[in-house]
Amino acid sequence: MSSEAKIRNYILENYLFTDDESALDSADSFLDKGILDSTGILEVIYFLEDEFEIKVEDTEMVPENLDSVNNIVSFIERKRQ
Amino acid sequence: MAPLPTTLFDHFETTVNKHPDSLAIADFKQRASYQDLFELVGKVSRYLLESGLKKGDRVSLVITNSVEYAAVFYGIWAVGGVTVALNTQAKAKDIINWVNHSEAHWLFVDERHQEFKAIAAEIKSDIELISVGRGTSDYQTEAAVSWQQILDQTASEPNISLTPSDLASIIYTSGTTGHPKGVTLSHGNLSANIDSILSYLELTEQDSILNVLPFYYSYGNSILHTHLAVGGSLILENSLAYPHRVMEKMASEAVTGFSGVPSTFALLLGRVNIRDYGLTNLRYITQAGGAMAPALADKLSSALPDTELFIMYGQTEAGARLTYLPPTMLKEKRGSIGIAIPNTTIEVRSKEGKVTQPGETGEICAFGKNIMQGYWKDSEKTAEIIKNGWLYTGDLAHTDVDGYLYIDGRSSDMIKSGANRISPKEIEEVIQEIDQVLEVAVIGCPDEMLGEVIKAYVVLKKNNSLEKRVIQRHCKSNLALYKIPKTIEFIEELPKTASGKIQKFLLQK
Repeated sequence: MSSEAKIRNYILENYLFTDDESALDSADSFLDKGILDSTGILEVIYFLEDEFEIKVEDTEMVPENLDSVNNIVSFIERKRQ
Repeated sequence: MAPLPTTLFDHFETTVNKHPDSLAIADFKQRASYQDLFELVGKVSRYLLESGLKKGDRVSLVITNSVEYAAVFYGIWAVGGVTVALNTQAKAKDIINWVNHSEAHWLFVDERHQEFKAIAAEIKSDIELISVGRGTSDYQTEAAVSWQQILDQTASEPNISLTPSDLASIIYTSGTTGHPKGVTLSHGNLSANIDSILSYLELTEQDSILNVLPFYYSYGNSILHTHLAVGGSLILENSLAYPHRVMEKMASEAVTGFSGVPSTFALLLGRVNIRDYGLTNLRYITQAGGAMAPALADKLSSALPDTELFIMYGQTEAGARLTYLPPTMLKEKRGSIGIAIPNTTIEVRSKEGKVTQPGETGEICAFGKNIMQGYWKDSEKTAEIIKNGWLYTGDLAHTDVDGYLYIDGRSSDMIKSGANRISPKEIEEVIQEIDQVLEVAVIGCPDEMLGEVIKAYVVLKKNNSLEKRVIQRHCKSNLALYKIPKTIEFIEELPKTASGKIQKFLLQK
């Protein structure tokens, strides 16, 4: 499964409570669209650290890295380089 | 000689005259001086006057923390209106319910609010809807009045005479759809409480705070008013989702204060190294909104050894604040919520109404000018918790021999998750709407980060099946995000007494 699919599944399952792919656009802002709140973002960070075996540093906790599926996918790719 | 300020609006006006050019509020799009804010307040009040507002009329607002929030709030007060600031995370159904219950004829809503369209579609036609923002939102549609129309007004000078007993604000705390609980606070209530807070925090015009707490919430409300009363500055950051950004802003703005609920500090300490940010100007931190584990307070103190930590306790029904622990006593009285704030009397009383002995658990009762007038249009509920002028908080505590208070629990089944006080009944009502559900009981389970998280026990009707996520999805459609149960457990039957009352304490085991 691709990184994008893993992240999408996690968000759909845990925060939108559905497997309907159309419920989430990969460009949707988690905060602006009310998909996640601040604790939700934190849970996503823990998920990413477990799932992709990365360490999200303090300075990396910014919306540019974490506020949408697309942002996370790019962030993970950069971390793996 | 000018009369002494008796209301928060008087305090604000005095501040504007003294420090017109000082920074009042910085939000993510503008930095407003006291004069800028006062000008905006005048425009809001002009609009309200011209659209027929009379003293005592309620005006509701659903606005995230911003310069506009403060302008609308003080603009309502400037013409003798009563503010009804509503939870910005709530769904349209709740917002409309509160607006109707308060009989407000005006509703200011952030143009970017996700429920804007639903609110516009469902609101009664005689309520004036005003969209707040720059007219750039996808959501905003058919608002009757645009924010630009407010900005086009010529600012009016406040010319209303307010007395301490005049109603200032209604704050809706959790309650079920059928029975909203609106705490009514007079100008005297709020002013008394703000004066007490100012005296122990020793806030001055030199102070500035980075604020993450919503202003519609009682704790955030007191932060807004304390700073505007003395001429301090509020730097706004509306989300804790990105703790690094919050800390960087605290450092770059050289703030002197920061306030949070226990989960704020758990989140910050868990994800960033506070010591790395060089917060040399940070004079104090306040914590309220639920009991903070002493171990967390220890961690916070050791991360910021030169910053005073004020542990506090309060209730919306008391204007916000009831007790504080002086920072000098933090180690000696570890785990305590402190003593009564100035001008408030606290007693711990037994079920029989007698003052308890040190070490003996009873209910926290409070008396003072800050205690609310009552619940809006609900004399029955008011009489249940205010007796002979004393507020019965529903919180259980004991004192030590020196009179310091220690919380032992709550006598009601309200759930406290993060900063939010949640009525289990409200969630049960929503889950009960699902066809397959026979009955449901909702409780709070201990959680390291949030204090409590929501758990629902659900009994299905015979020969029915249901996916847990269908329940959560239904909750997401009908409730604010923080009210969605984190876990759901299906059980055969709920534990009950012989008379049929659900025994929630058995579910909590």
